[in-house]
Amino acid sequence: MGKIKQFFGRRSSWSIPYLIFMLIFVVLPLILVVFYAFRSPQGGFTLDNIKTFINEKESVNTLLYSIGIALINTAICILLGYPAAYILSSSRFSSSSVMVALFLIPMFINVLMRTLATVALFGFIHVPLGQATLIFGMVYNYLPFMILPIYTVLQKLDRSYIEAAQDLGADSMRVFFRVTLPLSMPGVVSGIMMVFMPTISTFAIAELLTMNNIKLFGTIIQENINNGMWNYGALLSLIMLILIVLTNLFNEDKEEASAAGGLI
Amino acid sequence: MKKLFNAALLFVFALAVLSCSGSNSYDRPHQLKIYNWADYIDESLLEEFEDWYYAQTGDRVEIIYQTFDINEVMLAKIEKGQADYDLVCPSDYIIERMINRGLALPLDRNYGFVPDYTANVAPFVIENFNRMNTPGSNANDYSVGYMWGTVGFMYNEKYVDRSEVSSWSAILNPKFEQKLFMKDAFRDVYSPLLIYINSDKIADGTVDVDDLMYDVSDESIAQVEAILAEAKKNVSGWEADFGKEMMTQEKAWVNWTWSGDAMWAIHEAEDIGVQLNYVIPDEGSNCFFDGWIIPKYAVNVKAANYFINYMCMSENAIRNMDVTGYVSVIATDEVLQAQMEQALEQPHYAEVVDVSYFFGPEADSVVLNPIYYPDASSMARCAMMHDTDQDTEKLLKMWSRVKGDNLDAKMLVLIGVVVVAVVVAAVMRSKKNKSRRKSGKKR
Amino acid sequence: MKRNFLAKAYIWLLLILLYAPMVIIGVFSFTEAKVLGNWTGFSVGLYKSLFTSGAHEALMSALLNTLIIGLVASTLATALGTVSAIGIFNLRNKRFKAAMNTMNNIPILNADIITGVSLFLLFVSLGVTQGYVTLTLCHVTFCTPYVVLSVMPRLKQMNPNTFEAALDLGATPSQALRKVILPQIKSGMVSGFLLSFILSIDDFEVSVFNVGTNGLQTLSTFIYADSRKGGLTPELRPMITITFVVILAILIIMNLRTKTNTQTKTLK
Repeated sequence: MGKIKQFFGRRSSWSIPYLIFMLIFVVLPLILVVFYAFRSPQGGFTLDNIKTFINEKESVNTLLYSIGIALINTAICILLGYPAAYILSSSRFSSSSVMVALFLIPMFINVLMRTLATVALFGFIHVPLGQATLIFGMVYNYLPFMILPIYTVLQKLDRSYIEAAQDLGADSMRVFFRVTLPLSMPGVVSGIMMVFMPTISTFAIAELLTMNNIKLFGTIIQENINNGMWNYGALLSLIMLILIVLTNLFNEDKEEASAAGGLI
Repeated sequence: MKKLFNAALLFVFALAVLSCSGSNSYDRPHQLKIYNWADYIDESLLEEFEDWYYAQTGDRVEIIYQTFDINEVMLAKIEKGQADYDLVCPSDYIIERMINRGLALPLDRNYGFVPDYTANVAPFVIENFNRMNTPGSNANDYSVGYMWGTVGFMYNEKYVDRSEVSSWSAILNPKFEQKLFMKDAFRDVYSPLLIYINSDKIADGTVDVDDLMYDVSDESIAQVEAILAEAKKNVSGWEADFGKEMMTQEKAWVNWTWSGDAMWAIHEAEDIGVQLNYVIPDEGSNCFFDGWIIPKYAVNVKAANYFINYMCMSENAIRNMDVTGYVSVIATDEVLQAQMEQALEQPHYAEVVDVSYFFGPEADSVVLNPIYYPDASSMARCAMMHDTDQDTEKLLKMWSRVKGDNLDAKMLVLIGVVVVAVVVAAVMRSKKNKSRRKSGKKR
Repeated sequence: MKRNFLAKAYIWLLLILLYAPMVIIGVFSFTEAKVLGNWTGFSVGLYKSLFTSGAHEALMSALLNTLIIGLVASTLATALGTVSAIGIFNLRNKRFKAAMNTMNNIPILNADIITGVSLFLLFVSLGVTQGYVTLTLCHVTFCTPYVVLSVMPRLKQMNPNTFEAALDLGATPSQALRKVILPQIKSGMVSGFLLSFILSIDDFEVSVFNVGTNGLQTLSTFIYADSRKGGLTPELRPMITITFVVILAILIIMNLRTKTNTQTKTLK
């Protein structure tokens, strides 16, 4: 009896409800996706879907291209978002939470309306729709997802580390790169997770801001599902998932190292 | 602050409970669940139907109206999810698919004391439904048409002359470089191009247009693909819905689209001084029909049948056309009168047309809007597409090859650089960790 | 001083870029053109039309559904996500922890349409009728990972010994949780809640497959269906403008209240 109480007292057991939730709502559906990916429309197990993917040049290229756009988007979000989060978390603004909220309010407007308004905006300033507008639209949509996690981490950064570094004679550049940046890495990593991967599977922004000239991987999956080809669509999604889970595992090692490294 | 937070939490949970209770006052057998396109009906008719149905049958009914945007998603919900919609309004090829897959219930034209208004449907439409590819069944036993239209070119009259878009080869015209919108719907592009390729054979009678709609042979697909590949440099955008809007803003001069979209755009453009028009190229084209059908898992089948009948009444068809801007399949004299009056309001678009195929033999030269009711000469070379079912994949692949991908050297270089940088960083970090462990530094 | 000015200017510049599209929607809510970007003369007709009862019931009901589901799903996701983040953070077994983290990330990595379709198939195979409750559950499914990702960095930042210290000083575990851990991760929770809300409002693909057959529409399913046949309902523009102005007003009022509070505090 005591052991059971001990079990529930431990904080690690708090992950159990979520485990059950995820088993039902994440793992089970995922198994369904795997099931569909390896079946043919006529029923019966098949590996044809994989062969189709490898042979179809456009799918592979689109996947690579989407990864490229996601890299650019993530990079720009970090370049723009980190300074923004840094400035917001410093004492320059009297009520930084209001300023952060200001960054979020445009996001309460439905993405389709926002994007259509962006299209109209580009129309007025006579900017042709294409890759540049796509990247703008992506950054516009994902910037808050980068700013927020970095901001929350920077806000409660232990100032004593910074003060200690300054006392030891470091100039502000060194303080930033050696103390602040490493300590804020968990926030940056969260931001990257919330921006990089979803970018690949976004399609609405690409459709509207490039007049459908640029396809992202998400568009291909959507086209297949919408035309009744659920098996191929499921496989494409599985490929994306596997690729990214691999990089995620790779990231885990880095993350452990950087989190520990930050405290040195 | 804490009190405010607690109050907010309470409010949210109250909302949750409220939403769970639901607001449906009727039980399922007294509901009529309709699944239709958006902006595709005069919504005041829904309430009026409820009263009419009660007056005619003594039964109460409550309409639950939902909208969908893609045929196949609607079908997936019914096929894979056994969705219990009582009435849906899909496009012609999906009607074929539903009948062939046993997902539709036969119509029951026993309307009690109410006359059978489905007889108001134009024989032209009945004929097309007869020709639907549903072996063993006749589509007219399962479905009644609702709206119809054609595929053609919408064009900007300031920059484009009608003669320049009277052939599908207009998409190859260098004058329209980057000024062409293509409809991002492979069926609606494939069929007309097939007609274009075979236009000589159609003209001298060796090939029948309707037979051509069954052609998904590899050679035909390759031929269509070749034309599209050549036309690609003219294409400014592949639009599913923004074409009609951007045409009013003169972002393109020509748009491969449906007649309904064209009329919408023409009205909108008039308000800002832009003059658009629509033409069906001479070689022939696609005509499409949306129709009512009762899915397999429907519960209130009786009300569904009555609703279909209700939609076929003259005055309701006129009201639906007014509100939506699309063309009804109903071909009564009242509809003809109303359309003739409407045509006079837009003299620029009014023409003398032979619509005997639709309104009957007396209507061989009436003044109508040919975008709504094309002349018989155009319709002679128009046919309805059929469900490609298993061959859909081939067409989708062709379409994807045509639209191509966007990968270029710059992107590959970028990805390569990033991958290398990440690998290098990881290697350096593991080396640093190893050296730390070696020198005995503890964390 | 100059650095201060540059910093503030940077923030305001970003904000101007972010708000430019909103301004466009606002400006064009005062014309009756159907297409956003066309101007057919100044008119408040759309505003009048929006509030005429019955004319846009479907739109308003879709908006209401979206807001309710958004608030409920975000709240549930924040609660579940916070508890789970603490749980995952405290896991000892490295492999189990990695597995939990990977599972957590799957809804983020998956294309929305796949999440939507797979959840749809799940409910179908379980024989559950779809409606408000199932849709909210779907939203919780893809929102919770973002809460976990928002709270986790704060947990990592936290001094791990404060919880034990509180227990040593005689607090019960729940007291220690409420008074020690939660205040430190509060901003992560708020951030997670806001991100969840945003995602829930914007969601289309998961919703479209999981709305069920009882007439439930969210703002997204309404808009996407709307843009197909007849072009977007122009009344969306005034509706969005009003929503926008209301949120801004709430924000300003809240800001003023906290300012006067701190002022009175310092006066004391």
